[in-house]
Amino acid sequence: MATEQQLSTKHILGIKYLTEADIRLIFETARSFKEVLNRPIKKVPSLRDVTVANLFFEDSTRTRISFELAEKRLSADVVNFSASSSSVKKGETLLDTVNNILSMKVDMVVMRHPAPGAHHFLSQHIDANIINAGDGTHEHPTQALLDAFSMEEKVGGLEGKHVAIFGDILHSRVALSNIFCLRKLGAHVRVCGPPTLIPKYIDKLGVEVSHNVKDSLRWCDIANVLRIQLERQDIKYFPSLREYAQYFGISKALLDELGRPIVIMHPGPINRGVEITSDVADSEHSIILQQVENGVAIRMAALYLLAAKR
Amino acid sequence: MDVLIKSALVISPGSPHNGQGRDILIRDGQIESIGSALKVEGIPLLEGEQLCISPGWMDVGVQTGDPGFEHRENLHSAGQAAAAGGFTAIACQPNTAPALHSKSEVLYVLQNTRGQLVDFYPIGALTAGCAGKEITEMIDMHAAGAVAFSDGIKPLQHDGLMLRALQYVKAFGGLVANQPLGLQIGGHGQMHEGEVSTSLGLPGIPALAEELMARRDLHLLEYTESRLHLSNLSTAGAVQMVREAKKRGLNVTASVAVMNLAFDDGALSGFDSNYKLMPPLRSPEDREALRQGVLDGTIDAISANHIPLEEELKKKEFTYADFGATGLEVLYAICKTYLSDWLSDELIVEKLAIGPRRIFGLPLPSVAEGQPANLTVFAPGQLWAYSRDKVRSRSFNSPLLDKELTGRPVAVINNGQLLRA
Repeated sequence: MATEQQLSTKHILGIKYLTEADIRLIFETARSFKEVLNRPIKKVPSLRDVTVANLFFEDSTRTRISFELAEKRLSADVVNFSASSSSVKKGETLLDTVNNILSMKVDMVVMRHPAPGAHHFLSQHIDANIINAGDGTHEHPTQALLDAFSMEEKVGGLEGKHVAIFGDILHSRVALSNIFCLRKLGAHVRVCGPPTLIPKYIDKLGVEVSHNVKDSLRWCDIANVLRIQLERQDIKYFPSLREYAQYFGISKALLDELGRPIVIMHPGPINRGVEITSDVADSEHSIILQQVENGVAIRMAALYLLAAKR
Repeated sequence: MDVLIKSALVISPGSPHNGQGRDILIRDGQIESIGSALKVEGIPLLEGEQLCISPGWMDVGVQTGDPGFEHRENLHSAGQAAAAGGFTAIACQPNTAPALHSKSEVLYVLQNTRGQLVDFYPIGALTAGCAGKEITEMIDMHAAGAVAFSDGIKPLQHDGLMLRALQYVKAFGGLVANQPLGLQIGGHGQMHEGEVSTSLGLPGIPALAEELMARRDLHLLEYTESRLHLSNLSTAGAVQMVREAKKRGLNVTASVAVMNLAFDDGALSGFDSNYKLMPPLRSPEDREALRQGVLDGTIDAISANHIPLEEELKKKEFTYADFGATGLEVLYAICKTYLSDWLSDELIVEKLAIGPRRIFGLPLPSVAEGQPANLTVFAPGQLWAYSRDKVRSRSFNSPLLDKELTGRPVAVINNGQLLRA
């Protein structure tokens, strides 16, 4: 895995801060790692002697396992931390928590945190490389990278392709990263959902806005269906799951009406029967499990390329 | 206290010396004579390049932290910070603990600041504890010396309470002040709602939240025919409403925080919590409307919106950081460094000395012989760095800290005292 090219940044805080060349480099590296992952021996020594701390201040299953697997496949030493079983509950600040862990000679930090910008704050005060594994409703760059990577695998280059993002854009941790990434790769992007779940100024980011699911399905080549973030809604943004499923959910009947196949994606975890029906999630046009598989390769690439910046 | 101020440009509209370079002799705290090339033996001199002198400045709303938050600021440090910023008077916001919500707290402020160079004018709380529920004993506080009534940085949400407050103060010709922001719409926000907040994934504070409440307050003002001050306007819509209300003859005044004039929401694109302010930094269009409001007289005063906070409340994740910045010591420098292309020293004096006193109905100090000296001496062209060792406030939460600035107050004179910067 020798590459001359390097990322333009020391951290991966968000897609916003990556160049198109960075994204291409991550994809190229991920392709090589994907090939490694399909070998009988899936482990490479690239990150031997590198210690990575996975700091999860918010619950996560797949992202955390995906990062941990990626780190182990690269032979990194891994320590895990979760807020629910930690000093955070005793009132320790983020900076103190992280500095304590770093003083044990940790090289890289993978962090999920509920506060937008938490990684920026950290990057101004610590020396380790940081990968953002989600900062609230701001960015989740590796998810957007694996999404775009999976899309390219399925449909080829994204230049000029139509990608619609359905659902709860307002509370999503992946919507913005997806928008930034897809726009950098030349795709046309539309967001579609109930008006209360779409930020008023989202069009300023260069996306179309629609509230009509049928019309948006007709418009797109790829449908990325987001999870309804029930746990993040402190006030009601729509009256009931029943009405949501009926008017904004993606069902097989809607897809059959199109008369042509479109690619179906979902970052998970799925609320089956709410934003997407089971027969759609499990259909042959769904690449939901490929997304998960690619997640490990993308995260290996991100870790590997950042380690090269040390 | 005796001093001879040498060749300072007098900026004092209405004074016969306005616009003239003058020497000013002060003896025993009184302006003894104003003239050219005054010579007096054995008296301390105050001189410098391109000095200006004006009636002493006043800030319309300072968080003094005292009582209750003395680790952020106390009455002494607030006075020191104010004096260093060129102010000879400050109106104190009631958001202390306990709040300035009865005669006792009003007298506490007045009695503990007696003898300071800076005059303290307490603003009494409109509601007990500034909690927005029960109206306070405003007549009693007025009698004790409160100059206005407001819940300070807490916008009064309850329509009926605002109505009764505006009615009640008419008993003594009192003034109600409110910093408009509807919390049902804006209460969850972290910054101005717009392109920047969207791209940062931060919940927004729509301009609408301020505009709806400003609209309500002006309606209530019209109905009650009372006196209202709208503090720290930040939106184009609210400025336009006040402009129209003034045209219709309503008894309303308005102020703006200097940070909202100098910066817009673009300053937050790197999640710098030092720019996390209330009212939030808004769009460039709002900023332009505020500028127009200052120029055409819709906005009567420019405030430092001084909110001292300890490091622990600012040096943290943006979402968890508190709103606010200190500002007394750099207000003038912000005007000269960031706004000098349109904000003249004459206009600064209008918005820092004359407007604030008009809002509260206080007499304006005059630059005239025989008058008590209540004066600010300042150097528009002076270059300086706002470094940590210069800070007089107990708090350091200013985005201007360690920045190179232009324009600095040189000295303030009031109550028979002189303090040099």
